[in-house]
Amino acid sequence: MSTDTTASEPMLVTTDVVGGYGSVQILNGVSLKIARGQIVALLGGNGTGKSTMLKALSGLIKPWSGTIVFDGERIDRLRPDKIVRRGLVQVTQGKEAYPAMTVEENLLLGAHTRPERAVRARGLERTYEYFPILKERRRQLTGTLSGGQLQMLCIGRGLMSEPKMMLLDEPSAALAPQVVLEIFRTISRICRAGMTLLMVEQNVRMALLLAEYGYVIKDGVIHLQGPAETMINDDAVRLSYLGGTVADRDAKMAL
Amino acid sequence: MSYFFDLVIVGLSIGMVYALVAIGISLIYSGLDVVHFAHGEIYMLGAFIGLVIYEKLKLPFPVVLLGSMIVTGLVGVFIERVFYRRILRGGGGYTVAGMAMVICGFGMSIVLQNVAFLIWGARALPFPVSYGMPIEVGNVTLPAAYVWIVVAALVLMTGLHLFLKKTRLGLAVRAVAGNKEIAALMGIDVGLTISVIFGVACALGAAAGVLVGPINYVQVQMGIGVLIKAFAAAVIGGFGNLPGAVLGGLLVGVTESLGAGYLSGNYKDIYAFILLIIVLMIRPAGMFGVIGKVKA
Repeated sequence: MSTDTTASEPMLVTTDVVGGYGSVQILNGVSLKIARGQIVALLGGNGTGKSTMLKALSGLIKPWSGTIVFDGERIDRLRPDKIVRRGLVQVTQGKEAYPAMTVEENLLLGAHTRPERAVRARGLERTYEYFPILKERRRQLTGTLSGGQLQMLCIGRGLMSEPKMMLLDEPSAALAPQVVLEIFRTISRICRAGMTLLMVEQNVRMALLLAEYGYVIKDGVIHLQGPAETMINDDAVRLSYLGGTVADRDAKMAL
Repeated sequence: MSYFFDLVIVGLSIGMVYALVAIGISLIYSGLDVVHFAHGEIYMLGAFIGLVIYEKLKLPFPVVLLGSMIVTGLVGVFIERVFYRRILRGGGGYTVAGMAMVICGFGMSIVLQNVAFLIWGARALPFPVSYGMPIEVGNVTLPAAYVWIVVAALVLMTGLHLFLKKTRLGLAVRAVAGNKEIAALMGIDVGLTISVIFGVACALGAAAGVLVGPINYVQVQMGIGVLIKAFAAAVIGGFGNLPGAVLGGLLVGVTESLGAGYLSGNYKDIYAFILLIIVLMIRPAGMFGVIGKVKA
């Protein structure tokens, strides 16, 4: 576990990011720092600003002020497709796969920025290795997949462009605990292979079991941060911000 | 029987022309969430540009067809970039911007008609290309023009199908049609892709205009009737659905041709709309449409 983010140049640094939609301000100055190869969880309930922060990071909304520096360069004024080309990819929730395309078409879409045949073939191979079920169903319409398979598809789609860092938007959303476990195991494998990861989650325990460092966002600011192990054992933290259930302890064993 | 057969062939070929225009309208709708009401004028412009290329450069007809598609496609991209893009920033569909865009489309249709009028005048010009001798298939003689229109349209549709299914850009087009935000997260340049959609749609409209040229006159107001028929075709097929637009176009063409042949040619323009009303009574979203649209 590495919480020492000064050891190398960080992968992603945001400084006082302020932003929102129209005239509604949602982010009131969010500062994050994520080291290379680190797994970080951004936690918070509904309406706290975590999805908005994700949109700001991937360029879907422009921050009103503050800076976002990715891999040493500012990206807060870039269009979403330029940010993808820099190697920062958002993995959407499973429901955001294109239902009328085949599984393989959805995956190839993830490699849009990489026309090279070799990269595309390698990406497919890697994704099918992580998620063999997708290989079985690669010619089928995406609309026929189950919720868990859709989430796998979206993670695989994110891998296709061989990014430096992935942003995960609630990988556990609307999934059965057993499926969540399987998906988190694979995410953990992907990270061990050298991926930097920022994961937005409502399933706090699950996220902290996987992550090395956690941020808790509330009312558009970071209210709390610390190493995941400290956070997960901190009763005050859990009660005031995180919630969580006993059942999650079994999940920890399984992971 | 041969009379019936002739009518069907004529109907199919004119239906293919409607289908090409309808595909363009459907493409723009699925990509930009707006109905493009100036598409009939794009068709007219395509015919005139084809005529100019033919008369100035004396190139073979297939080259004229391609040339007009390219030039008109670029004109379409220009129109989209300069005029429509500003309006569409606020969104499409049922938003205020979507409504403004519909009105802007009508305005563009009037502007393009007048531009064409200033350049080429109001006179109907002949497109002096011969499609050649009638073609004999077995014991049936088919008028060459209609056969070639069907063949050319089929080639273009196959090309479009392969583009959408087999190429990286085609996949991006489908992604943008399905959901622009997700497409952007895939690293797709959404603005550029919308221009591609518009350009392809206009190129297909131009192809329809050039194909019709030799069997009809080329004239400033030729787009009005075709727009309405193609619109009916697109609605019959299910708006935004490309195979539906083709089938709708063929149905409209054949219905019109049979109606004109057996009932009365004076009411030729009514048959398409009787068909439209019947289809919408039975299936309100069109033949392949889904209520509450699921796209891409």
